[in-house]
Amino acid sequence: MEPVVQFENVRKSFGSFVAVDNLNLNIERGKFVTLLGPSGCGKSTTLRMLGGFETPTEGRILLSGRDVTMVPPNRRNVNIVFQDYALFPHMTVAKNIAFGLELKGVDQKQIQRRVSELLELVQLQEFASRLPSELSGGQRQRVALMRALAPDPDVLLLDEPLSALDAKLRQTMQIELKAIQEQTGKTFMFVTHDQEEALTMSDTIVVMNNGRIEQMGDPASLYKRPGSAFVATFLGETNLLRSDVVGTDAGEAAVRWNGMTIKASAGALSPKAGDAIYVVLRPEAIQCSAGEPGVANRVKGRIRQRVFKGNHTSLKVEIGEGHLLNALVHPSEVEGLSLDDIWVGWSAEATTLIPSRNAS
Amino acid sequence: MRAMFHDWPGLALKSFYWLFVLYLFLPLSLMVAVSFKDASFISFPLGNLTIDWYAKVIQDKQFLDACLYTIMIAAATTAIATVIGVWIAMLIGSLRGATQYVAFAIACLPAVVPGMISAISLRIFITTIDLPTGTVAIILGHVVHAVPFVVVMVLTRLRSMPGNLVDAARDLGADSTVTFFRVTLPYLGPAIFGGMIFCLLLSSDDFVRTFFLGGYRPTLPMLIFARVQSGMSPEINVMATLVLVVTAVVGLYAEYLTRRSRIR
Ligand SMILES: Nc1ncnc2c1ncn2[C@@H]1O[C@H](COP(=O)(O)OP(=O)(O)OP(=O)(O)O)[C@@H](O)[C@H]1O
Ligand SMILES: [Mg+2]
Repeated sequence: MEPVVQFENVRKSFGSFVAVDNLNLNIERGKFVTLLGPSGCGKSTTLRMLGGFETPTEGRILLSGRDVTMVPPNRRNVNIVFQDYALFPHMTVAKNIAFGLELKGVDQKQIQRRVSELLELVQLQEFASRLPSELSGGQRQRVALMRALAPDPDVLLLDEPLSALDAKLRQTMQIELKAIQEQTGKTFMFVTHDQEEALTMSDTIVVMNNGRIEQMGDPASLYKRPGSAFVATFLGETNLLRSDVVGTDAGEAAVRWNGMTIKASAGALSPKAGDAIYVVLRPEAIQCSAGEPGVANRVKGRIRQRVFKGNHTSLKVEIGEGHLLNALVHPSEVEGLSLDDIWVGWSAEATTLIPSRNAS
Repeated sequence: MRAMFHDWPGLALKSFYWLFVLYLFLPLSLMVAVSFKDASFISFPLGNLTIDWYAKVIQDKQFLDACLYTIMIAAATTAIATVIGVWIAMLIGSLRGATQYVAFAIACLPAVVPGMISAISLRIFITTIDLPTGTVAIILGHVVHAVPFVVVMVLTRLRSMPGNLVDAARDLGADSTVTFFRVTLPYLGPAIFGGMIFCLLLSSDDFVRTFFLGGYRPTLPMLIFARVQSGMSPEINVMATLVLVVTAVVGLYAEYLTRRSRIR
């Protein structure tokens, strides 16, 4: 199937500053795609180029196969949910939602039907005749979402729409947003710098850094097989162990780190002995025990810090002299362990290797 | 009690405020009081009170005509100055950097040029272009004076407008004309309304420009001025009192409306 959005070699510079560079991105219809990256990496610029508010310096943007690179925002079939909602303050909720439909020339009867249908979708029927200033943050958010959905866009663009909400409401809205996306079957292009948000909602995550795509893929494989140190540290917590390859054997590599030999799955890499490399070890892949565990990698250590977090316990374990590993374990795992003498271990499959030239 | 005596700065501030209020209202109250006096000259004590002067004034053809003329000029001034003022404010709002400041300074100039200078220059100007003194010339003069006030009020509101309201409208399919009339203009509404009230008051109160640009038909300030020259009488107090009441009501009502819209 033809992708609904295609960025072809898109580049955007402001003066001599390059905000987005060499962007090639295809987005499949009906998917929830998230642009994830640190502040200033060019996420909003990418979104605004698709919305028509910025013109690419180079390259083309196709929307449903049509070149829209030079088409003004009011004549392309995408809608944005703005970070601060941008609801029209002098219009009621219903009028706000109807705005895009009226401009499309839809007749009044149909507009009314669509508006009440959309209000029902987010359970805001009783609020139809209120002004935006008479709504809570979460309600405004929903109205902004419905206003953007009303004209039935090819793609819905959302620029950090949840960042103004408190933590609790944000979680509720994440789930609601995902549910609405699935219900309507719309393509959502979502921008955030919050990795947890990205992991929760997305079908595809596009990790951006310094105006470029660092890596893209579904959340699970990005998390499990990050392709660079940047992605590994940006998506979730991680232990990044700088090591040297000592040998390889059937998809596994043996590397030396801190005086110990670690067996790690090589993944897509084919490392050679002598290569400098990073081992990605997720904190939750580490297990702790009093006796020697039966896994490929095991080493003795001392617990330097232990923080009880309810459903898990977060540990800092010192290995050798001054090398700390972060670990997340079930609280019962560390009950009654002596702090100064424990075993930590992890399997070879739980780790990934990253070439160290990608280290930032 | 002790706290009150130790709070000298606060007490001084309060006393000055009330002295100021007295200074503000005493002359006005005198004027209003005398308008009810049962005698044709101004003196104290007031003696018997009467509304005869009011009856006389509202039957005064000259007075009524002057009122009508003043309102007509004020209305025309307001309509024209508002359109021009909003236009200029939008223009300045769309400029960037130094040009913006220069444009703003030029737009504000007519508000700070002394009335007399502005009046004389306008008089020379209309003579040069062969425009007769009278209604059109007066309106021209008043508009020049009123526009900067509209510009400043509208521009202030425009600057407080979230930038992405316009983006949102464009995004939902509105071209720039539709965006202006359906989003920007309603947002500016309270400021435009305030600016219009200001125009009305400025125009109906103007004496100097009207004096230099007017023809034979007097506006209210001109009429009152002419009457004062032929001697003070309670009739003048009545006219002044009526003007005071109307302006106060209009001003307070405008304030109430803008306050209400600000709360929203
Ligand atoms: N109009 C502009 N003029 C000059 N520089 C700009 C402009 N818009 C964006 N930039 C720059 O481009 C870079 C990318 O900006 P962008 O808004 O896309 O970042 P972002 O990834 O959305 O960041 P955030 O998470 O903080 O919103 C930033 O360094 C920013 O300063
Ligand atoms: Mg941004």
